[in-house]
Amino acid sequence: MRNSGAVLILTFIAKLISQAAGVSPPGKPRLTSCRSPEKETFTCWWEPGDDGGLPTTYALYYRLENSETVYECPDYRTAGENSCFFNKNDTSLWVNYNITVVATNALGKNISDPVEVDVVYIVQPNTPENVTAVVVHDDQGPFVRVSWEKPRTADTRSGWITLLYQLRVKQEKDKEWEEYDAGMQKYYNVFSLHPDKEYMVQVRCKPDHGFWSKWTQTTYVKMPNYIPRERSLWIMITIFSVFIVLILTWTLNVKRKSVKLCLLPPVPGPKIKGFDKQLLKSGKSEEVFNSLVIKGFPPTTDYVDLMVEYLEVYDNEEQELVLDGKDLSEDCMKSKSLSDSDSGRGSCDSRTLLLEKCMEGREGSGSDRHQYSQHGETSWASSESSESQGPEPGSPESTDGRVKTWPVVFSSPQPQPHHHYQNGAVKPAYHSVPEILSHLSPLATPSNYHQLPPQQEGRFSKPACRHSQSYNQFNLDGVNPPVPGVSQSHSLEYVEVQTVDPQNMLLLRPLSDPNREPEGSDYAGEDYSRVKEVTSNNILLLQREMSHQCMNDYNQDLDSQADQCTTQQPPHPCKPAIHQLNSGMPQEVMRVMGNGYVDSTVLMPTY
Amino acid sequence: MTQGSRLYFAVTLMCAFVSIHGVGLNDLLERASQLSDKLHSISTSLTNDLDSHFPPVGRVMMPRPSMCHTSSLQIPNDKDQALKVPEDELLSLARSLLLAWSDPLALLSAEASSLAHPERNTINSKTKELQDNIDSLGAGLEHVFNKMGSSSDNLSSLPFSSNSLGQDKTSRLVNFHFLLSCFRRDSHKIDSFLKVLRCRAAKKRPEMC
Repeated sequence: MRNSGAVLILTFIAKLISQAAGVSPPGKPRLTSCRSPEKETFTCWWEPGDDGGLPTTYALYYRLENSETVYECPDYRTAGENSCFFNKNDTSLWVNYNITVVATNALGKNISDPVEVDVVYIVQPNTPENVTAVVVHDDQGPFVRVSWEKPRTADTRSGWITLLYQLRVKQEKDKEWEEYDAGMQKYYNVFSLHPDKEYMVQVRCKPDHGFWSKWTQTTYVKMPNYIPRERSLWIMITIFSVFIVLILTWTLNVKRKSVKLCLLPPVPGPKIKGFDKQLLKSGKSEEVFNSLVIKGFPPTTDYVDLMVEYLEVYDNEEQELVLDGKDLSEDCMKSKSLSDSDSGRGSCDSRTLLLEKCMEGREGSGSDRHQYSQHGETSWASSESSESQGPEPGSPESTDGRVKTWPVVFSSPQPQPHHHYQNGAVKPAYHSVPEILSHLSPLATPSNYHQLPPQQEGRFSKPACRHSQSYNQFNLDGVNPPVPGVSQSHSLEYVEVQTVDPQNMLLLRPLSDPNREPEGSDYAGEDYSRVKEVTSNNILLLQREMSHQCMNDYNQDLDSQADQCTTQQPPHPCKPAIHQLNSGMPQEVMRVMGNGYVDSTVLMPTY
Repeated sequence: MTQGSRLYFAVTLMCAFVSIHGVGLNDLLERASQLSDKLHSISTSLTNDLDSHFPPVGRVMMPRPSMCHTSSLQIPNDKDQALKVPEDELLSLARSLLLAWSDPLALLSAEASSLAHPERNTINSKTKELQDNIDSLGAGLEHVFNKMGSSSDNLSSLPFSSNSLGQDKTSRLVNFHFLLSCFRRDSHKIDSFLKVLRCRAAKKRPEMC
């Protein structure tokens, strides 16, 4: 007890003294690295810790993985200070070494952390040897051939170790090296070096699984002064391309126009047969439009007897007025030929009354010129929209008064029966059907009718010329115009235009007239209305044959100048259709056929 | 003979010639060395991936390398010993090692996807790559063996008994790492032996060795 206590006290005192004196046990050493240059031997280096002011000795101990035997380092000298060299006999491959370093001095010792090492993973060869770089003169130009030898210690011959080489080249002034991989070969050709310059070359190697060796000492090589051929090649290429560019430019210049045509194709102009753009540009619109005139159309015959012209009146509740100037114009164009593939209702072929409004105004020079205005089904309602439109597209042209569009007489009540029709400065010679119709002797009072304000200057939009529409057409020249019928639907009511009397009055007769010739007797039905009478106010009163009670349901003042065409709701069986008549024509008696149809042929105005 | 049948005959003759002489031994060994090199490189990178996020406790838990299932195989430990070994023995050593790893690699491959490691996907793909390469190398070494015409085929049996890496994820990870380290070392052995064989056979090409 006393001894141990004394020892303790002594140790404590010794420590104090030693601390006071500045000595201490050694610091912990540290194994820095172990390397094997050829996979046959290896060396480990350590870093000594603080020696504690006293001379310290270091010892390296190692232990193999499958035994507990601790060995000490066999050779402390070969590899230098603080190193341990393991020679061939002491080196085993594919075995883990557990290595520690112990630092000992008078006051104590210190053991480093153990390190596990497998020799095959720490292979780092020596540098290659005998690096030579020579300039080789070649047809394409000189280049440098660098050659070297393997490090002496590495046994590549037997395949024990496989080395891969790498070299790097740069000029003295360059910052970065140019690196090249040479694989397993021991030479390399370096191209693209600048003439008359000095280059530095270095080589290193690496085992297949290991660390790179250090770089060799620098080898210098100087390139000879030569003219690189590539420059002349570039000169040739430049000249050639300049030549090509010149040729291309010249070709483009010569073919300027076609190139321009190709790149910027001209905008196609309007293709209207017979339309002469030049004339239009020159400003003489009359001559331009002259060419558009189809001579001899519509057929102006005096075959009064043959012509059975119908004034189609329909009372479709869903009448829609598609009033679009554009459509009009288009349809004007389309209907120029008046070719109608329609079933026949309302087609010009069937000589129904067609009133077409054309875009281009025409002077009444041509005697057989007809102007047509088309209007839509019936709906005046959309005339509001037309109102909101600007001037009718076609109207400006036709404000000469050529065109008169007839509103469709419809029997069904319309919400807002605004009629707009275009009426330019109507020549007194022109008659519209309503006028003509006003000559009808009062035969019957149609149940309801619409009245067309006379000489309305208002505008109504014309619906697109649909073959299922009703048209009114009046002949400018007094020739019996084909009267397009309204072919809307079953609800159309037809009035047959029988003749046009010399005063250009349309004599209409209802198709359902029993006195009528048998030809049209079948038409009598729902779709046709019979003209009852023509009032003194130029109101054509139509009446359905069926319902006799629809009489005089409507009575509208023609002079009201109202734009609206009121359609009162008729009693059911009645589908009144009203033609608005435009006054202005001296009243002539319209020949009303027995079956109630008005013969419009009689009524055609003469000019 | 028509043109077609002549062509067919020529092709058949060529095929027969090739099959008799086949690819030269040098080329076979060259190809085998390349494969083994790749095998070891992949296993090294796999080890690095695993080490990147390895728990310190794992290192303590890690079994000793002597516990690899192939440690019983007697192999040359240094160059002198290795260079004394005849070629066919070297080849059989390589083949035995290779054969011993086909089952463990399958296990590793199965476990790689569920490893508790952030680099799991990379590890998984590399493990699969290892498996493929091992199969190719095994087939190649078979050809080499047939080419060398050894009389006996003394392959050592190195059984791998375990069929699971562990119960909990840490032990699974640790065992995975351990198995991989065993494989890495064995792949280095195979590579070294094959490269020795390669240089021994390539007497006509001294520049390569």
